[in-house]
Amino acid sequence: MAQRPTKETKQSSAREERPPVVREKVPPLAPQRGRPTLILVGADKGGVGKTTIARVLLDYLAANNVLTRAFDTETPRGTLYRFHPDQTSVVDLTSTSDQMKIIDTLATAEIKVSVVDVRAGGLEPALQALQDTGFLDAVAEGEVGFILFHVLGSSIASLDEIAEVAPYVEDADYFLVKNHVNDTTFFEWDPVTHRKYFEKVETAGEITIPKLNELSYEQVEIAGAPFSTFVANRTAEGEPADHSFVLRGYVRTWQNRIADEFDRIHLLDRIAGREGA
Amino acid sequence: MSRRTLVFVACSPHPRSGVSTTARLLTDFYLSRLTEVEGFDTDPHAPRYHEWFPDRTRVIDTADIRGQISLFDRLLVDDGVPKIVDVWQRAYDRFFKTVKEIGFVEEARARGVEPIVLFHVDQTDSALASAKSLSAAWRDVPMVIVQNEGAAPLGAYAHETLGHYPSTRRFLIGALDGAVAKTLDEPDLSLSRLLVSPPPEMSIVIRAALKAWIAPIFTQFRSFELRHELDGAQFLK
Repeated sequence: MAQRPTKETKQSSAREERPPVVREKVPPLAPQRGRPTLILVGADKGGVGKTTIARVLLDYLAANNVLTRAFDTETPRGTLYRFHPDQTSVVDLTSTSDQMKIIDTLATAEIKVSVVDVRAGGLEPALQALQDTGFLDAVAEGEVGFILFHVLGSSIASLDEIAEVAPYVEDADYFLVKNHVNDTTFFEWDPVTHRKYFEKVETAGEITIPKLNELSYEQVEIAGAPFSTFVANRTAEGEPADHSFVLRGYVRTWQNRIADEFDRIHLLDRIAGREGA
Repeated sequence: MSRRTLVFVACSPHPRSGVSTTARLLTDFYLSRLTEVEGFDTDPHAPRYHEWFPDRTRVIDTADIRGQISLFDRLLVDDGVPKIVDVWQRAYDRFFKTVKEIGFVEEARARGVEPIVLFHVDQTDSALASAKSLSAAWRDVPMVIVQNEGAAPLGAYAHETLGHYPSTRRFLIGALDGAVAKTLDEPDLSLSRLLVSPPPEMSIVIRAALKAWIAPIFTQFRSFELRHELDGAQFLK
């Protein structure tokens, strides 16, 4: 894995080259509505719920009137594409043409927010590709926004990814996502292990995704519709459906809890490039 | 007049406070008036309420999501049939947690279904705290306090105890003499049929005592029903 310079080395070299500058306080910037933003949802470990989070993220953004395009890297047949076919393209992130399809169009596309659901094992190669294409430099310059939702499973193997990913995302909004796909914990009960993985890496924060009961999850799977469509008691085609109210209620509550988490981290402000996010 | 489908939730966080008895009396009240009624017994281990009305009630395990589906999805049907839920004390927390989590009350209102909590009082502070908690969580859900003098007598300070509860509506279920109360446990005894054609083998004394016990209870139910209809009368608004 190629190593990007760490924050410490960047800061120390800057101190050597330039005299200290007394900065005046500047007023907060106005919202940068035109700034494109790339949101990556990924993990190298499989089965941690990446696509589920990408799906719930698309629902959240749609509910907040944020137009979004999505890319599913699970080629040839994408799971995200199955649930959000109208806004999702299936891409191969290792292919140059598909990289161009995402990155080169970030600034020119009418839809400024792009969500990429990175397949299992694809996070590190995706970050490497973003570095190689100069995307991460554009992020550092503030030309584009970059948010990474690194989805963690409750295993040491999954937590080991944090240290590998961190060097790539110094200028990004890097969030660790604790996805409770089952009732296990993230080693909160073991302070030494927890500190080792969660407290040594500088991130924008953590998000906790609560567990959705299996029956509700399965029914949405069977429906093959976005979570919001299921809650609205509609089929994937938009026709009236006959889903159980109990299951819809559970899904709605689960979505609301995740929306609270997105609100807590000021996701919409971050996407809009607003100060203070 | 806007008629709404009523859903009665008979509940108490504590055992032996007369919840199943109220569910039974209310069911028999509707049957005595030849009105369809449907019941749900949330005690899957000893479903007494279901045993009294095996054809009109079903047993629900609220700890199981499939059980929740068969309960709440049915309760939300606005078909004019009153529904009665006997909330077993061990299902109490789970039941109301589910109600909150799935947004049952809000959906019920939207569908023309009106939940009514029949909260069974006892002398404990925790029962009072539970009633206040329910009332605070769903301020617009009518709560009726049920005082069962046989199952959970409040003693000499009943009025003081009741005064702390967050509702002024009350059903009073009188106490029965031990021998008469024992008759109530017979699974074949139908209180609604008793009123019109008592079992010939039943003692006249017991028959009279039961009728005297039932009559004021049914009067309270009828009074509540009339008041509720008046509250919903559009032409009076």
